[in-house]
This record gives sequence, structure tokens and C-alpha cells, in this order.
Amino acid sequence: MSIIQQHTQATLSDAWRTINIDALQEDSSVNFDTSTLHPALPETSEAEVRQLTNQVRQLLRGGDAEGALRGCLESPVYRGRDEAKEAHLQTVIEVLQSIKASDMTPMLQRIYASPGGTECLDVLMKYLYKGMAVTSGGAGKSNPQTPTRMTPQQTGFSQMSGRPGGSSESTGGAMSVLLSWHEKVVDVAGLGCIGRCMTDWRKV
Amino acid sequence: MSQSLRPYLQAVRSSLTAALCLSNFASQTAERHNVPEVEARTSPEVLLTPLTIARNENERVLIEPSINSIRISIKIKQADEIEHILVHKFTRFLTQRAESFFILRRKPIKVVGYDISFLITNFHTEEMLKHKLVDFIIQFMEEVDKEISEMKLFLNARARFVAESFLTPFD
Repeated sequence: MSIIQQHTQATLSDAWRTINIDALQEDSSVNFDTSTLHPALPETSEAEVRQLTNQVRQLLRGGDAEGALRGCLESPVYRGRDEAKEAHLQTVIEVLQSIKASDMTPMLQRIYASPGGTECLDVLMKYLYKGMAVTSGGAGKSNPQTPTRMTPQQTGFSQMSGRPGGSSESTGGAMSVLLSWHEKVVDVAGLGCIGRCMTDWRKV
Repeated sequence: MSQSLRPYLQAVRSSLTAALCLSNFASQTAERHNVPEVEARTSPEVLLTPLTIARNENERVLIEPSINSIRISIKIKQADEIEHILVHKFTRFLTQRAESFFILRRKPIKVVGYDISFLITNFHTEEMLKHKLVDFIIQFMEEVDKEISEMKLFLNARARFVAESFLTPFD
């Protein structure tokens, strides 16, 4: 016999079995307030991000790539709307792409040695991971990679397959920039940089 | 190894090495239980920021660290439908034999797009060497691409042979 005395439409389905009753308890570990794990963060608006982007672009045009990089790493968007975060990420990627491969390591070493440099490189690492997550369309966002997006199998003589879509070339290029930066940052700042990036609750 | 594969694998290697810092941590919800926190998700404070490493939009790795376990999900390169089918068959073959691989997860995670997942707990890192575990994942990633493209070549060769011998009587 069922333990439910009165049947309604809601009890007849099995949906109630999947309710996590632990979460309803006030002192359950599920309800841990993670905002206590980081200091209070100032909110950054989109206008501020735009202003910073303009400043950074000006520095880039003036040839001061290091100043531009420092500028955008010293004011990361920890709290704010998604658009603001996204815009700041684009600024960082723009700066990273404009720096030559041979300048990377000396520049990172200079930033690392300067006061507040470790913090800067941690922020850079966070943006590198975020950049790879966003540009590849992964990380929580559900974009089904269905076979419809793929090119049909070429039959006959050619073993070479076509590249799926024209966009993959450009994202692949952006990704290889991020990957080479990642390698250089690990060389300069060590694995601790990745560790801090994982454990820090101030998320970009 | 191609030019863009090396930094990709290097990034995965360093991220994995950094993420594989696991300690024993008993469940906070059920007494005398010890579950991988990254799977149970009962304590938000012990789940760390997930890291994504991507080579392009078709190849990426998701590392979800937590205090006593990490989950690694791999999206294997699939350029066309044949490779899509081959990857599916191949990962199915492996996951059905998951107990022989110790760290292989029986199902890829629910996030769309990942083909195969690994789950490493603190018990694995206690009885196995950490750098060997990292090497295993890296080697898997290297080998699986080779394996898939080899299988595709064989498949095409076989298909051509079958088609030829099938059509010979009508010649």
C-alpha cells in the first residue's frame, strides 16, 4: 500500500522522489554561503569597462603593450553583469593577441618581479582559462555539437576531410595565442598560479 | 607532434598537475560516508573553479577540481560524421570496461559535447603515482586521435573494397 494517503496529480508522478530534502534544512552543507569565502567585491558597470577598454586601446596604439596588459589585469571585473565581464575578457584577449611571441616571457618576468605582480599573473591565468572556455563554447553553456554542424563525409578518393565551418580557423588561432600565453605564465609564475586560479572565489 | 598540439597538451599537463592535490574528506551530509565531492555536490565550498583548456572548438578538456576528487572530461576531435560515429563506438567500448581502467568514469558528464570522462579520487592518488596518472591522461589524449584517424582510414579502405566486390557482377 502506498504511504501517500491522498493521491493528487503531483503525488502520482515520481517527481517528488527526486526532491533533495537535505537542501530544505537550514544548516545543511548544501546551503553553505560561498559569498563568505571572498572579501566584498565592488561592482563594475559596463560604462567603467568601456572607459578602461578605451584607455587600454590608447596605450596599445602608443606602443605601450606592457602598460596596456597591466592596466587591464589590475582592474579585473569580479562582480558585475555578464556583459561587463565579457567585454573585459575581450579587451584582455585583444591585448594578448597584439603582443609578439618573443616579447611574452620578458614582459611576464618584468610584471612578475614588480610589486603586485603575482596577483596580476593570477588574474591573467583566470582570463586565459575563461577565454578558452568562452571561445570554445563550452563550460556549462549548452550548445549541442550535433552532426548537423559537420560537413558531410567526403566519399571516394579523398581521405582529407573538410574543415567544419569557416569559423574554426579564427577560433583556433585565438586559442593557440591563449595556449602559448598559458605556457609562458606557468613558466614564469609556476604551478601555484593555476592552484590559486582554481581556489580563488573571486571569479572573473 | 604538430605545432599546436604541444602547447595544448602542455597546458593540460600543468593544469592537471596543479589540480591533483587531493586529500581525504568525508561527506558532510551523511555520517561515515566518503564520496567524491565533485560528483555529490553537497558542499559548495569544497568545489573549486572548473578549468577549460581548448585547442579549438572541436577539441577541449574540462577539469573540475574539488577537495577529494577531480573530474576530467575530454572532447575528442570529430571533423565529420564518420569520426563522430567512430568516437562514439570507441568511447563506448572503453566505458563498458571501465573497471579495468580504475579512473575511467562510466558515463561522460552531462555537459553537452564531452565524449569521455575520468574521475580521480584521493584514494587513486594515494595508491598510484600522481605523475603517472597525469602521463596516462596525456598519453590517452595523444593516442585517441591517432586511433580514430587510423580507424577512419581502415574503414574507408574496407568500404571501397566492399563496394568494388559488390559492384563487380554488374560490370
